Amino acid sequence: MNAPVSNAVTRSLLRRLLGNGTLIVAFIYALLFTIFASRQSDALSQTSITDLFNNAAPLALAAAGGSLVVLTRGFDLSVAGVVALSNVLMATQVGEGPQQALLGLAVVCTAGLLVGAVNGILVAYIRLQSIASTLATMIVTSGLALLVLDAPGGTVPDFVADTLTDSAAGIVPVAALILLAVVLIWLLLRRTDWGVALYAVGADETAAGLAGIRTRRVKFFAYCLAGVFYALSGYMLSALTATGNPNAGNSYLLLTFAAIAIGGTSFSGGRGGVVGAMLGAATLTLLQKVLFSAGVSSFYTGIFQGVVMILAVLVAATSDRFASGRRA
Amino acid sequence: MSPPADTRGLRRAGLGSDVWNAIALFGLTALLIIASRWISSGFGGWEQTKAILVLSSFVVVVAFGQQLVILTGGLDLSIASVMTIGGVLTFNFVGASPTALIWGVPLILLVTAAIGGLNGIGVVWLRVPPFIMTLAMGIIVYGATLGITGGTPRGQASPALSALFTASVLDVPLVIYFMLAITICGSVVQLGTGFGRRLYAVGTNPAAAYIAGLPVRWLTFLTYAISGASAGLAGILMFGYAGGATLTMGQAYQLPSIAAVVVGGTSILGGSGLYIGAVGGALLLTTFSTVISSLGIAEGWRTVIYGLVILLALLVLREELYLWAGQLVARPVPLRQPGEPAAKPDA
Amino acid sequence: MNWNTIRSGLVNTAVAAGLLAGVAGAANADDKKLKIYLSLSYSGNSWQSEAANIVKALAATPPYDKAIELKEVISGTDVQAQISAYESMISDGAAGIISFPVSPTGLNRAIRKGCDKGTLFFMYDGTVTEPCAYNVSYITAGFGENTAQALVNVLGGKGNIFLSRGVPGNSVDKRHTDGAMAIFKKYPGIKVIAEYYGMWSDQTTQSETAKALAAHPDVDGIWAQAGEDGAIKALLATGSKKLVPVVGENSNGFRLALANPAYQAAGFKGVSSGSPPATAGYAFKLMMEMLTKGRKLTTHNIEYPLPWVPAEGVKLCPGDRFENGCNTFPAGKVPDSFVTEVFEANLLPELSLVTALDGKPTPGMTIQPLPGEVTAAPDTPGINCQKCNGNGDIYALTKIKATVQP
Repeated sequence: MNAPVSNAVTRSLLRRLLGNGTLIVAFIYALLFTIFASRQSDALSQTSITDLFNNAAPLALAAAGGSLVVLTRGFDLSVAGVVALSNVLMATQVGEGPQQALLGLAVVCTAGLLVGAVNGILVAYIRLQSIASTLATMIVTSGLALLVLDAPGGTVPDFVADTLTDSAAGIVPVAALILLAVVLIWLLLRRTDWGVALYAVGADETAAGLAGIRTRRVKFFAYCLAGVFYALSGYMLSALTATGNPNAGNSYLLLTFAAIAIGGTSFSGGRGGVVGAMLGAATLTLLQKVLFSAGVSSFYTGIFQGVVMILAVLVAATSDRFASGRRA
Repeated sequence: MSPPADTRGLRRAGLGSDVWNAIALFGLTALLIIASRWISSGFGGWEQTKAILVLSSFVVVVAFGQQLVILTGGLDLSIASVMTIGGVLTFNFVGASPTALIWGVPLILLVTAAIGGLNGIGVVWLRVPPFIMTLAMGIIVYGATLGITGGTPRGQASPALSALFTASVLDVPLVIYFMLAITICGSVVQLGTGFGRRLYAVGTNPAAAYIAGLPVRWLTFLTYAISGASAGLAGILMFGYAGGATLTMGQAYQLPSIAAVVVGGTSILGGSGLYIGAVGGALLLTTFSTVISSLGIAEGWRTVIYGLVILLALLVLREELYLWAGQLVARPVPLRQPGEPAAKPDA
Repeated sequence: MNWNTIRSGLVNTAVAAGLLAGVAGAANADDKKLKIYLSLSYSGNSWQSEAANIVKALAATPPYDKAIELKEVISGTDVQAQISAYESMISDGAAGIISFPVSPTGLNRAIRKGCDKGTLFFMYDGTVTEPCAYNVSYITAGFGENTAQALVNVLGGKGNIFLSRGVPGNSVDKRHTDGAMAIFKKYPGIKVIAEYYGMWSDQTTQSETAKALAAHPDVDGIWAQAGEDGAIKALLATGSKKLVPVVGENSNGFRLALANPAYQAAGFKGVSSGSPPATAGYAFKLMMEMLTKGRKLTTHNIEYPLPWVPAEGVKLCPGDRFENGCNTFPAGKVPDSFVTEVFEANLLPELSLVTALDGKPTPGMTIQPLPGEVTAAPDTPGINCQKCNGNGDIYALTKIKATVQP
């Protein structure tokens, strides 16, 4: 009688592991990294790893924010505008030194929070469609970014640019520490009432409402927090590029959603999370390096990127289906 | 994002709100064209109206497929690349020859429909989320077009296709008749055929539609194939308009195609909305961008105003307002079968 | 299948394997070749692919074909992606990177890291403000102000004009427009009645011009950046018997239109100037001379001459080579959107039409040495230097004189 029980236990354990989108994407990342490390001799060097974290950080933060909204079955397109706005603010309004860097952080986070709050009001309280209202706020914020800076330029203070892209104590990349901090904050938030309610609202809003959850407020906060994450993403991008560009956010629009999907967050709400989305972002930026080291012909790079994107989502979905039994 | 129960009930009572929405959009467009006379003396006349109609024709065509996809609860992000490949293939293989046009255009529509069909297969049978499937397909198709052309599409302009834009009957460019025909055909397909009506059922509640015996998978698959073909057609038109094709020709139409559909009153969650509304959305947005671009202000402000206008349109064109207007004028026409559940099941 | 075919198949396979081994051996010998990377931001228009093709063709022209190994990488319009591409190239041991930079400032840190490791950076057309990189570009040569003056001259100092700009928030667009406005502002009779962004794309320029024409049918002239061919198509599409002067960049369609007697009779005039794809070839040859011949450059900012072709200067090329100063191709030979400035008699005699269209070397051609002199580009803040002042009048006219006074 023991064997079937332990069998069932392993099976359910296996199911839980496979059903966890975060683990799947972690596995995909590890696989890609192995390929990368085998093709490029200095892949494990200090600089190479710091580069990887620096490149991934802006997109990872944007995807972290976006996944909060996707968890509530929404789409937030304003990411492109907020990243650009926060980038041009950093390049034009902030002076040198640690104090100014903190002030800059406060300024961009406030800007992100404001845009997020507007989105939240429009979607949660006025009940406009999320994709439409965030499209509008995206256009407005990218217009504002153009007003702040009408051509690439400005300088991000060296303090921000150097500190955030460096390694702490010469070992751990600062970008990695920042991403780790975000992960820890998220793991804490997830255990709060709001965190639990977020999943409930995404899974079934009506039921969550009937269960006494204040669904509007939960959604409102999701958009606000997402706005702050986008601002942080712009902050990291400013550190990486050390300059302002009013069009900096454009490429984030679709990549963010790609990262979220690869990270195992379901677009029908209620499943997935911030950590997966961040790993998804890291996978996409690692893919650039892998394709380079694999010598994929430049014209066809796009084809590989697209195919890998579909495959990653397929792997996640298939294992998910396996985990939740035959029928999905 | 799903509306709370009370408005669901109301919406079912009066699907007429979609019709009201479309009427409001056309009315606003007309008002705006007339009002724009105060902005520029050249505005407010037939010349401006003609220009707006011609320029919106691409979005109107693309929006047909996009609206059907959104109606079933999906989204097509590949249309920019599919439009481009449609234009590039026509440029390369059809060119100036009228005979090539006769077999070439259907063939290219078939190719683009097949690309859309691949989206459909990914979404329906492989269960990749539409957002990712179509986004990835867009990247793949763009990469393929880049590879095929080596970066420079080569070919010849087609006088026959260009005539759509240059030749007029009764001072109306041919392409406007074409657009009118597409709008009518599209609306008939949507409202007058079993296919169209079933799509509403699929978008509203796929599970219920499945139980009711509808071929939900095939219907969804078809919407993607149609979206591919309509993007291809828009690319062919664009090639006629510009007399050539470049690899960036579709890019400007991705977000407008979605904006037109959504401003046009189609819910991104599926199950409600009309193609004629998307046509109205396309016209209104093109008119706005025409008027805004003639304002002598910095591009930043123009962008801000354009965004605010979309927001305003969304706020003004809210469903509750039509319900209210509909109740004033009474008897809305129910399009949906009575007793059909209006709620989308939560996944 | 009988035994013979199977055996011959086996033999073939063995031969193929032997060949492969030989190739692999040769590949090992290639290690002595210089590693050069061509880094593009995107390859979505004729200009980009022509420039890249010219570099690829030169790299395959003897003696460079034996000396270097060229790899092309397209990373898209995302700054982060190009940073990542540069990092990969540097760690792959690139001797030189020739690149169209997606941002004038955002790549600086990655470039500096590369310079520290001994990688040579040459930017063509687009520029960067990082001092260790070399910029080869026409941007500082004054496209904006010279074409603006040409338009003012044609209009006799007064009239309503459109500005058809490039990409909003782009520094090249800003430099061109600032130069043009420096001229237009001198003439109170010149009124800018519409300003729009054509995104350097023919189709977008065409639809934006059509919108502007709907509002202002009374336009007297158009100042356009790349995409000017779309502006002409929009003018023609109005069906009006009257055309207006247009100054713009180098598309073949525009040059053919300039030389078209019927259009000229309808009032169409103008100048074709602007960004030449051949710049990429010049930058590449400069870089190669530094790498292989130890050439020293006294400046990091090198100016490429600004093309300048008024209507009477349009000259059709009868063949595929550079002949007698020809600068335009017959209709049907290349698309209207093809950018014509792919030849340069003195700097790049190696080029022909196939180099620009297919990236193949001109048969029988070898690399010719460059002249010893280079033209230094003036310092322009935000374009080719970061903390510097533009000295003197950076918008001084070089190609044309004002024939009308304000």
